[in-house]
Amino acid sequence: MRYSSIVQRLVYRYALLTRLAHWFGAIAVAVLISSGLQIFNAAPYLDAADRSTPTRRVLSIDSPADGVGQTTLFGHTFTTTGFLGWGSDGVGGATARAFPGWLTIPAYQDLADGRRWHFFFAWVASLAWLVWLISSAVKGNLAQMVLRPSDLPKLWPMQAYYLRLRREPPPHGTYNPLQKAAYTFVLLVLAPLIVLTGLALSPGIDAIAHPLTVLFGGRQFARLWHFLAMLLFVGFAIVHIVQVATQGFFNHMRSMISGWYRLREHESVGP
Amino acid sequence: MKRRLFIASSIAAALGGCAPIGTALNDNPGFHHFLGLEGSLDAALLGNTAGLARQYSLADISKHFPVDSLPTPTSTRYEAFLENGFRSYTLAVAGAVERPMQISLARLERMRQQTQITRHDCVEGWSAIGAWTGVPLREVLRLAGPRRDARYVVFRCMDRDDQGTPYYESLDMAQAYHPQTILALQLNGRPIQPDHGAPVRLRVPTQLGYKSAKWVAEIQIVGSFEHLYGGKGGYWEDQGYEWYAGI
Repeated sequence: MRYSSIVQRLVYRYALLTRLAHWFGAIAVAVLISSGLQIFNAAPYLDAADRSTPTRRVLSIDSPADGVGQTTLFGHTFTTTGFLGWGSDGVGGATARAFPGWLTIPAYQDLADGRRWHFFFAWVASLAWLVWLISSAVKGNLAQMVLRPSDLPKLWPMQAYYLRLRREPPPHGTYNPLQKAAYTFVLLVLAPLIVLTGLALSPGIDAIAHPLTVLFGGRQFARLWHFLAMLLFVGFAIVHIVQVATQGFFNHMRSMISGWYRLREHESVGP
Repeated sequence: MKRRLFIASSIAAALGGCAPIGTALNDNPGFHHFLGLEGSLDAALLGNTAGLARQYSLADISKHFPVDSLPTPTSTRYEAFLENGFRSYTLAVAGAVERPMQISLARLERMRQQTQITRHDCVEGWSAIGAWTGVPLREVLRLAGPRRDARYVVFRCMDRDDQGTPYYESLDMAQAYHPQTILALQLNGRPIQPDHGAPVRLRVPTQLGYKSAKWVAEIQIVGSFEHLYGGKGGYWEDQGYEWYAGI
């Protein structure tokens, strides 16, 4: 059944568990990114190999001299003083440091505490993801969210609408085709991948599940994938926040807090 | 415009608040302790699993094995060991054992040796592969005979930090009896060099590198490590690192 002709209709879109999972997940992801950068700072380079191999270095961030920060990506070196390599020490000064203090938890350099935060919130994020998966599968939200082959022809028209090349979005259900693509990729591909690449870094996990570490090319390679998956998460978060801010901020915030969403033109309920 | 400004500033405040709020919570002892529950949970789930660290081939051995620890000891005792090629070195086995003993390096070398080519995973993030040869720790423990109240094996080491605090580590009995936990005497077919922990270095390939204590002088079997130094069971543990270092 379609409701697209009915404008300004309030629908109950998000179950309580889904909303809780969203906010716990959002906080956890923010903490995981900043504590992860704190952990990265202890060995600020990434190698495409199992063991550390300088000849297979993809990225390194260092400080060749006091007051200078540089970033080397695939052998090309860029000066990144003030941000990468040399930046805020988190306690009011500047120091040699890959990621600056305002991006890390805690702000000052402390690997032990960064690990504490990271592993605690890894549990929070994983449990939030599991709660979301089960509750949204039971409530039918998952079925509305997963990208289907029939959505593929609608992807470009939707993008054209966002680029203002098209006046109206293609008709769609609860989520538009680009939302479906983004949520399906982030929640069903990227989230499991970032957990698995993280686990592959642990010697205790490697000892009970060799194939996992081997699958990613070894421990240092897994560290590289884990970092890349983080960058994709950051990319998603930026797009997600911009979309929420520009496509009806109060409507979206209300729906993720109270569950009630005001349907707009061209929107309906369903897959 | 006011609406846009409000939206933009609320988002900026939420994102910009992450690091300061996180740092403030990190400095709160109660919250800091609460975060530490993850370590206990990981230890309970994984601490005594029987999995074996992956074994590599000779071709996989790292050309350069980093040295990333407290400085090599410079005590007169250690200097004397270097002078006589560790002939005067003995490994003390003490504490909750039936037969406390001093084991010479020569005797350790005569015991059954085991070679394993394993990856050393540092908590900082780097990894190196080396061929470690030595005596399985359980063979030494069998010689000494742990008593019924034995719960942990503590490794007292010869290295000290710049404050004079000695390095130490500990394993529970299951980790100590793990078939790959060895007292290594050789790295890549040669006696361990001073910088790598000569003459005896613990190797625990199923956990992070800080567990693999260098320059081991004494093995002390205890019922609890709470009375030792910071009470957390290891030099780095006393500074906030997890006692179970498998993650």
